Amino acid sequence: MIQSIALNIAQLAFVLLLSPLFAGVLTRCKEIVQSKRGPSVLQPYRDLRKLFAKNERIPEDSSWLFRAAPYVIFIVPLIVTLLIPVLTNFPLFFAFAGDMLGAGFIFAISGMFFTLAAIDGGNPYGAMGASRTRMVGFLAEPVIIIVLFTVSFVASSTIPYIVQQHWVHPLANFFAPSHVLLLIAFFMVILAETGRLPVDNPTGHFELAMIDESKALEFSGRSAALIKWGGYMKFAVLSIVFLNVLTTPWGLASSASPADVAIAVALVALKILILIAIIVAVESSYAKLRLFRISEFLAAAFVVSVTAMITEILHL
Amino acid sequence: MTQLVIELNALVLGLFIISTIAMTVTRQIGACMLIFVVQSLLLAASAFLLGASPFSWHLFALGCVTLISKAMIIPWLLRVLTPKGNYYRRELSQAIDIPTTLLIALGLTFAGYAFAQHLVRAAPNLSPANISMGFAALLVGLLVLAVRTEAVPQLLGILAMENAAFLAGIAIAPDFPLIAELAIAFDVPLLAFIVALLTRIAYRQVGTTEVGALAALREGP
Amino acid sequence: MTLLAIPCAALLAALWNAFPRSARGAPVATLLASIVALAISLRVLWTLRFGTSIVIAPGWVEIDALGALLVALIAVVYFTAALFSWGYLTAENHGDRRIRQYHANFNLFAFSMLCIPLLSELGLVWIFVELTTLLSVLLVSYALTTEAVEAAWKYMVLTLLGATIAVLGVLVLFWTLHTTGSTDFTWSGLRAAAPSMNHALLSTAFVLLLVGYGAKIGLVPLHTWLPDAHSQAPSPVCAMLSGIETSAVLYVLLRLRSVFASDTSLHVGAWFAVAGLISVGVAALLIVQAHDYKRLFAFSTVEHMGIILTAASIITPFGDIATVWQILAHAVAKSFCFYAAGATLIVTGTREIADVRGLLGMSRIASGGLILGGLAIGGAPPMVVFPSELAILRALLLSHGYIVAALVAIFILIAFFGVIWHVTSMVAGTPSHETHKRVPVPCTLALLIAAVPVFVLGVWLPAGLSEALQSAARVLGA
Repeated sequence: MIQSIALNIAQLAFVLLLSPLFAGVLTRCKEIVQSKRGPSVLQPYRDLRKLFAKNERIPEDSSWLFRAAPYVIFIVPLIVTLLIPVLTNFPLFFAFAGDMLGAGFIFAISGMFFTLAAIDGGNPYGAMGASRTRMVGFLAEPVIIIVLFTVSFVASSTIPYIVQQHWVHPLANFFAPSHVLLLIAFFMVILAETGRLPVDNPTGHFELAMIDESKALEFSGRSAALIKWGGYMKFAVLSIVFLNVLTTPWGLASSASPADVAIAVALVALKILILIAIIVAVESSYAKLRLFRISEFLAAAFVVSVTAMITEILHL
Repeated sequence: MTQLVIELNALVLGLFIISTIAMTVTRQIGACMLIFVVQSLLLAASAFLLGASPFSWHLFALGCVTLISKAMIIPWLLRVLTPKGNYYRRELSQAIDIPTTLLIALGLTFAGYAFAQHLVRAAPNLSPANISMGFAALLVGLLVLAVRTEAVPQLLGILAMENAAFLAGIAIAPDFPLIAELAIAFDVPLLAFIVALLTRIAYRQVGTTEVGALAALREGP
Repeated sequence: MTLLAIPCAALLAALWNAFPRSARGAPVATLLASIVALAISLRVLWTLRFGTSIVIAPGWVEIDALGALLVALIAVVYFTAALFSWGYLTAENHGDRRIRQYHANFNLFAFSMLCIPLLSELGLVWIFVELTTLLSVLLVSYALTTEAVEAAWKYMVLTLLGATIAVLGVLVLFWTLHTTGSTDFTWSGLRAAAPSMNHALLSTAFVLLLVGYGAKIGLVPLHTWLPDAHSQAPSPVCAMLSGIETSAVLYVLLRLRSVFASDTSLHVGAWFAVAGLISVGVAALLIVQAHDYKRLFAFSTVEHMGIILTAASIITPFGDIATVWQILAHAVAKSFCFYAAGATLIVTGTREIADVRGLLGMSRIASGGLILGGLAIGGAPPMVVFPSELAILRALLLSHGYIVAALVAIFILIAFFGVIWHVTSMVAGTPSHETHKRVPVPCTLALLIAAVPVFVLGVWLPAGLSEALQSAARVLGA
């Protein structure tokens, strides 16, 4: 019981404390690829500390949504962390409280609050970003559902812990077309949902071209810090789902001993760093897609995921 | 055949059908050509994988010939013979927009699978997956022909259909007489050569290679 | 061994034409090659008229009575087309280099066609069928106009599409053969293994081959390339394409008929009849609305391919002899029509029916050829197509295919009406062109030579030929 609670806290701490580091590594790697030096990998921590210390200014005509949204955006990834296998491959305390579809809906709460708060803030760019984010969101929905359907079909369950145990066994299944194609499809969805190139440029400053970033323009001080941190955590959580459930469900602690958990922390961090390297490669190779081309990008992801589903169901 | 070989072959097939679908939607002629090369490499890989377990020199020869003639000779021929300049980077227009094309391609993949299923159950063969994917890719190749209006992508669509037919063929008839190698080694480059010449003629005489848009010959006034 | 000299003569002529030298020698080389091919193929036909076969390489290069008939037909049209090309190109007035290119291409095309009946290995046959497409594409675009290029492109795309579907059919057929334990992938090997073939595989192979080769034959709805290609190409090439190339591919399909027919649940006869009737019907209606006289004759080719397929759907000896007779008649008559059309084109310079009036006053040769060609291809007596179409109707009635016979007869009548209406509107009246060219002498000669079998074979079949036809029919039905 104590162990279980301790493991859960360890999971939460992992996501809470290490997600800014992953974001910092991603930014630094991108800058190095562009032949620049880039900021320190600890810069996001400094940014958060600075923002927490600043005063907050709130638009006069905004409602309670604007004030509540940052908290929702911060808490939601933490709730999802409780549901997914982060460090252990055996189910923990909250494992059966929600399955993958539930996790998806919980993310949707955060998305809804963020979208509405952006419009509530009164900034025209915020409203524009909100509608664009919704477009990308609903286009990515079919892909997510097909992916979830396929993995659930194999594992006969939608609980992430159980899926993780059945998905890539035996090892030869790593090369199964359903596996590889699902990886590609879900990777494309991660790029879309976390607002990375080629869907959206996270380092862009031009408000008319922003999709995700412009929603956060009105927030300041503590709210801005919470939204930033929530964004880092969302990326970390999606990566963990991608890696620990779908791609490489290995390297997780199989017992509750501290040594195992420590090794698991290191291995999961390593996996996330490899994923970051791949994302950096993809981001540095492609230009941002024009807005109406995003539907083509996600349609391609859809085709790939349906092909994965076909090959899985027809046992090819 | 070992489990690993079966899984790898299935992966190669999955990527094969994805590359065929990608041929319907790429926006540049150069990208279309690259995807065709990838597709030919995947076909050669499948031939090598299927020829590995009960060792069949015939399949190995087929794979080698495919590699040389489709992955090397044809792209070189097309590059040498098609119009110079920015030809390969021009953006292609689509006959129907991309998401619709992708959904139709998906539908055709299902149709091809369904059609191949009753065949696969009927008789023994080396790899049922190859046959299903071959039929599906044949239909998607037909879609490439239908939606493309430019000369080189249409040619690549026909070659993709041949790739699909041979993909089904290597599982069906691993000891098919030398004809298959002969066909791939001589027939296919000759095809590419003649079509490239025709494209050149079209470019010189008509001024464009958008042959799908030529519609002067028809019934009625 | 002299059998191999038939295609090799064409190949040598092509090689001769490939090297840069004066263009005056090119048509002569082509003509010589065609005469050699004609002589040897007629001798082979004479040798095989009682139904034996010549084997050069067992399992690869063999020829029997049916193949001999086809090779003789190809050689006849090759000869007359070579003669016509000589005059046609001088009238067209292209440069030396283009004339040499034409002849080289022409000979290669003839080579690929001449090889088809000589081969007995199905995979090799597929390769050569695809070669006939590839080697004729540049001939179709010879005129270098926008329409010619468009026609060549459509031709190439649709036929290669058919070839790709057909290769899958060939592979599935090989698979079917493999499951019976045999690997003899020749006409005779397939027929021997036919009774024990798996139904699902055989039906798939049948569908794929019918669709794939059907695109090359010009069966509706994959016929859309045919009027374009067969009208834009130079007339001698059209004669080769319409007269014998589609027949050569149809020959491949007909050879496989007995393999498919051994599985009675496939209903091969019914499928052939339906496909044939649809082609005949659509083509007949298209003939009536044609606006270009070469397209008119091209639609007539579609119609005749449908008629031959319908004749082949009657799987009895009467049907078989009618089928081979119709193939012979069509080859001879259609090439004659296209020579007449070519002469008309030389004289008037336009392909539109509406622009040509009073051809009789402009050129007796061209107008005479058009009228007689129109009558011949429509099926009027005493020309060669009439007895063969009569034989088809008789075979249909004898095997109780009354509805099919009635439909075929109606469509033939509609087509006849259409062709005669258009042709007479072109020939009669006051001449529409003031100044016009004369038909060159080789073209006139080719027309006259081509007219001989059209008339003679309509009333009298020489003894050797009738025996050859009967042996060919026996091979078809075996």
